[in-house]
Amino acid sequence: MMPLTIVTFLLFVLKAFVVVMFAMNVAVILTWADRRQGAMIQDRVGPNRAVAWIPTKVAQGLALGPALAVVAGVAFVLVKLEPLPEELASRAMLFSQLGILFTWLTFVVIAGKVQTRGVQSSFDAWLYSLGDPRRIFYTGLFAHFLALFVGLALNDSSFGTQIRDIGYGGGAGLLIFSVLGGAVYAALSIRNEPRIGLRLAGLLHPAADGLKTIFKEDFIPPNADKFLHSLAPFISFFPALVVMAVIPFGDTLCFNVDHGGLGALMTTVPRDSVCAAAGSVRLQVVDLDVGLLYFFALAGTGIVGAALAGWASDNKYSLLGGVRAASQMVSYEVTMGLTLVGAVMVYGSLRVDKMIEWQQHNAWGIFVQPLAFFLFFTASVAESKRIPFDIPEGESEIVAGYFTEYAGMKFAMFFFAEYIAVVTSAGLMSAIFLGGWDLPFLYRDGLHVSIGGTVLFEQTLPHVMVVVVGALGFVLKTLTLCWLQLMIRWTLPRFRYDQLMRLGWRKLLPASLANVVATGLIVMAIVSAGPEVGKFMDLVADYTRAFVALVGLGGFIYFVVFLAKPVHKRKTLSSSSAEYAAAAGGTRSARMSA
Amino acid sequence: MNNETAALGPKKVVGTPVPRPQRTASVQTYIPEIAKGLGITMKHFFQNTKEMAFGQRNDPVLEAIEDGINCISYPEQKRPYPARFRGVHRLTQRDDGAPRCVACLCCSTACPAQCIHIEAGEYPEGDPRRGYERFPQRFVIDELRCIFCGFCVEACPVDAIRMDTGIHAAPYDSREQFIFEKELLMAFPGRDGSHLTANPRHEPGESTHPGLDRDHH
Repeated sequence: MMPLTIVTFLLFVLKAFVVVMFAMNVAVILTWADRRQGAMIQDRVGPNRAVAWIPTKVAQGLALGPALAVVAGVAFVLVKLEPLPEELASRAMLFSQLGILFTWLTFVVIAGKVQTRGVQSSFDAWLYSLGDPRRIFYTGLFAHFLALFVGLALNDSSFGTQIRDIGYGGGAGLLIFSVLGGAVYAALSIRNEPRIGLRLAGLLHPAADGLKTIFKEDFIPPNADKFLHSLAPFISFFPALVVMAVIPFGDTLCFNVDHGGLGALMTTVPRDSVCAAAGSVRLQVVDLDVGLLYFFALAGTGIVGAALAGWASDNKYSLLGGVRAASQMVSYEVTMGLTLVGAVMVYGSLRVDKMIEWQQHNAWGIFVQPLAFFLFFTASVAESKRIPFDIPEGESEIVAGYFTEYAGMKFAMFFFAEYIAVVTSAGLMSAIFLGGWDLPFLYRDGLHVSIGGTVLFEQTLPHVMVVVVGALGFVLKTLTLCWLQLMIRWTLPRFRYDQLMRLGWRKLLPASLANVVATGLIVMAIVSAGPEVGKFMDLVADYTRAFVALVGLGGFIYFVVFLAKPVHKRKTLSSSSAEYAAAAGGTRSARMSA
Repeated sequence: MNNETAALGPKKVVGTPVPRPQRTASVQTYIPEIAKGLGITMKHFFQNTKEMAFGQRNDPVLEAIEDGINCISYPEQKRPYPARFRGVHRLTQRDDGAPRCVACLCCSTACPAQCIHIEAGEYPEGDPRRGYERFPQRFVIDELRCIFCGFCVEACPVDAIRMDTGIHAAPYDSREQFIFEKELLMAFPGRDGSHLTANPRHEPGESTHPGLDRDHH
């Protein structure tokens, strides 16, 4: 624990702000995504009406501004931060890879746009003549691997130093060219539009809905307990929000290596160095030794809000919903706690940051405790009272359950709390089972791809880049888990009450107990087995890392290919309506960009 | 006797038995089936989200046979009305811009909703059309009363009233705005953009004119 000074206090406030904003904004995005996904899987358009019109000049500024910032950043690094001779190779590799990445990205995006919108300039015509946008992507992929292998093979020869200098200057040039070129193209292609509709893919819609609920009538039933009725939404909202405090969202930022201050962020930190407390910032709101227990203590408080809402509403359906919520959440709380006992036994700590460190040195929790991950995931979906476990709401049986008598912002707060519970449970799951901010082969000093001691590839990276990429990895994992919960919500029907109780008490609870016993036996066996087994486990851990990296890379490639795939649709003129539409150039000309 | 008692008892059910749902291991354990269902959900989600985000979604009218989102986002998108849609009326014009209407009152007589009001005027003395036809001094349609049956169009002997504007009667603020006067009705073009009709007129004095009028027939 750091001594409390002005700086640490300000940092605490800043971190709390970041975490709360993260949870709340992701919750808003989930509100949108939930409805959006419902629309998408049912082939509907979904909510995307809300639009902010911005003048063309401003839109062009929005396209050019970030690009200019990137260019300025690259120029600053090139001119001001002179690399040490041993850093030159890694910087050359970094710049050439980034340059190639942004070049193919820009070209694929523009080529896809041309495919949809049609040729408008000679540049468009040239891009169109290249054919399928996927070809550009494959070429870019080839260039990535080519740069990688050339860099590795020619590291020490004199020809290699020439290549390295070309990579250093040329990569940076390519980066500047592609980012600036893409922005200029975007700015030019919108210059004839009178105004640009900013819809953020429909994301403005939940913001508009949120504003609307604030101004709605705040109805309290005449015979309700007015105080408790108003208190309940806050009680269910608050705990959901504060549990994020113990989840670290990034590696510790070190300021005290070599030369302190902000310059330290650009240097490379040794792999296993421990930051002194005085010069480091932990990316975690509070350091609590009780870690997980804090999470369970506060997550359990959420029950009170639902039960209180049901009781205070003076409505039998609300009461039924409140009772159901209480019984369900108590049942699944047991499973939730017991599934993590195995994980705590393996990691040997209740602190979430210690768990992530263990996973970084060994293997991700999902490989160590697969059953626990599955059980915890199920239990946390049940804990957030969402489909298929939404019997407290159960609109086909008890109107709307415990929030039947709520309207306006209080109603929205219940829903908001539900979504925040989804975010926090996803954050906890990604920290305990998916390594938190740990990414495969990414260590404090950079990338080290090695299997069982054989080093395949090494690349040192600046400290700030490692931390930021790790934090982005944590966000990505959290979002993926949230998204999976939403997908389940749109796939499964609701359980009956007895099925729900049977699943909780007769299936998940015994399974979690069995997991505890099995974990205990295996941990004891491995500890007493000796160093050979430990070495073998390290090798297996390396393979799990390689597996995750390959799955991630393959998924990324598959996804880009999927996105870049051009669409060809058959037109049919089956009616006089269709003939009028064809004569007008299609009904889609007034389409909503969603 | 035996046959009759046999007919009284419970009858044997005839029909093909419906097989019970397969309760295989994968169904009973629930999880593989969940994975399958999730796969289908995700397939739709990714495909449709991609098409919406990149502006590649189906044209809801022209590409309606394709899989994907075929919803029409009214009012940003509108399905054009079919050619024979009965929309707001228009009064067709002669070549000189006068209404073709001869104020015969056939339409207002045929109208079951009684929403057409015509005040007929006579041409001045010496006009070749006097005694042969009249003209509408006022031609008023109450679009609120109109039931869009199209009888007026059927009844018109001179193709003067048509419902081929392709405009549907929009909701306005007040009832007065639904009272369409002659000038407004003449201002609407047809779907082809023309104020005329394809049917020829036969003016008095032309060889195709039947030579009949109210005094000599």
